Amino acid sequence: MLEGIGGEILGVIRFGDIVPYITPFTLSMFILALTLTVLLALAKPENQILMVFGKDKYSLIKPTIEEMKFRRFMVIVCGLALSGAMITGDLFNFTLFVTLVGITNIGIIAAVRRPYVLEAAFQYGLICTLASLPLFGAAAIVLGTAGTLSLHELETLSVLPMAKILLAFGVAGETGIAPFYAAKAEVFRAPGAPYILMVHLSAIMVVIRTAEILLLL
Amino acid sequence: MKWMDKAWMILSDPKELPKIFAISILFVFFVGILLNYPYYPDQLYPKSFELSGLYPYDRGGTPLKEPAKIVAQYPQNSEMIGWITSYLTPFSSWLASKTLYLGTTIVSHPGGIVDEILYYTRGLDTVLESSIMMMAFLIVGFLIKLKRGG
Amino acid sequence: MELSEAYQFGMIIAMGAAFITFLGFAREKRDLHRLVISDMVAGITLVIVAIVGTDLAECLILPTLVVSVAEVLAIAEILIHKEELKLREEGVIISTPNYSPLGIEVFQSSSIIVALILIIYGAILTGFTGGAVAGVGMVYYLLTRWDGKITKDFWDGISSVSGIAWTLWLVGFLLFFIVPEFWLFALFLSGGGLVVKVATKFGLIGIEGRDSMRGES
Repeated sequence: MLEGIGGEILGVIRFGDIVPYITPFTLSMFILALTLTVLLALAKPENQILMVFGKDKYSLIKPTIEEMKFRRFMVIVCGLALSGAMITGDLFNFTLFVTLVGITNIGIIAAVRRPYVLEAAFQYGLICTLASLPLFGAAAIVLGTAGTLSLHELETLSVLPMAKILLAFGVAGETGIAPFYAAKAEVFRAPGAPYILMVHLSAIMVVIRTAEILLLL
Repeated sequence: MKWMDKAWMILSDPKELPKIFAISILFVFFVGILLNYPYYPDQLYPKSFELSGLYPYDRGGTPLKEPAKIVAQYPQNSEMIGWITSYLTPFSSWLASKTLYLGTTIVSHPGGIVDEILYYTRGLDTVLESSIMMMAFLIVGFLIKLKRGG
Repeated sequence: MELSEAYQFGMIIAMGAAFITFLGFAREKRDLHRLVISDMVAGITLVIVAIVGTDLAECLILPTLVVSVAEVLAIAEILIHKEELKLREEGVIISTPNYSPLGIEVFQSSSIIVALILIIYGAILTGFTGGAVAGVGMVYYLLTRWDGKITKDFWDGISSVSGIAWTLWLVGFLLFFIVPEFWLFALFLSGGGLVVKVATKFGLIGIEGRDSMRGES
């Protein structure tokens, strides 16, 4: 099945019980995530101009260097976590990578000193904390009922549909995709353009990888 | 399509989102109560209960002489598997010979089955877990620093 | 009771508890209460993982616990920050309430050797628990005797020590797989790095707590 979805396995990295694997699918996602991280880390942040409606006025919002440094660091960690999530070969490890992506996303948002952004960050954080139950719960149910966490073994075993549904819910909450998207959308009004892109990108790529894992289970 | 307008309006408010997430997953948990969960009998890293100084974490082996037998997922990937489980510092082995209750604190002594899994066979998990903690601490530290104006 | 029966029973209890908690969360409107309930959700996650009942499950508890603690820590601080910003925008001047300090006597008269014993014992223990014990020792000292102020340099310095200890642990982790013969050295590198990392973080939180206890900012 691993071959069926991602192409033939080009190589594995052996970290004890956790065996990340490289297929053309995971490799291309891994390279994409790393490249975008490098691009975002090198990019210069924007200065936002707000036009005042109905008047001949504008205001320039200039984020401080301190804030931008912090956000850039969060973006780099988020990108590394993202590329890790692309190649990992263990279900529990994957959930941890997703959580790391989630918490760095909150970090990218939380550095902005604006009440509406912090409000959105707080609500997104609440969803993240709630989503940790379905996410880790799914991994634990797989361990309890199938007896293993390794994706290499799970491809031949059948898993309770319940675990799959919980995993899907967990990833949806942790990355804040479609129905729970508004908290993230609010954030895009904040200054600091290139770093916000990482919030988008990480959600999309984690969802694609989750689709592969769900097909495989 | 008035209800649809309403639904979009609710979904567009960040304050309502955690509530919507909670409600949408309620049904899953309700079904979860009624399900049958077959327990897999041959689990990895099973527990055993031997009465010794390390009860209930005694997995056999002698420190630095003989490794313990561990049921890992891929034993071939961890060459020195079992050695950490059987290892105890001189202080800990002295304690283990004196009392029956060292096992309850084996997590905090160097060596033992928990260290074997946390540091060695599933070490990547622990690395990630501490990075998650570090990121949370960074966010908190940064916000406190902003508040102090430094 | 058979293991499989116990597992089934435990899962039903956990799912029921999750149902009740999420129902409670959906009915709650106040932010602070929602934060508390999301911490309860993390408790149920721990139950689902622990029910598997093997040594592996016991080890998976630790990442699960830390993830929930980390998320609650981060969003609690965001909540404080957000409410403060909101009040400031409304023009409310936030003043620390006027009170005379309690002047608890034991804070001045307690013997400092307790802190020393805790730190030494924590260093012997190593690992997370050792770090926590040593950290309590540090907090004890900071709360009772230390009168210094946190400067920017001090904060940065302590965080750097924590970060360096963390990299020591990473080196330990890699040594396990690069040179398996040095497993004992790697074990102590990992354990020792963790002690320093956890203890320093406890120390910083302790100073923060002391300052807010004494009504200083």
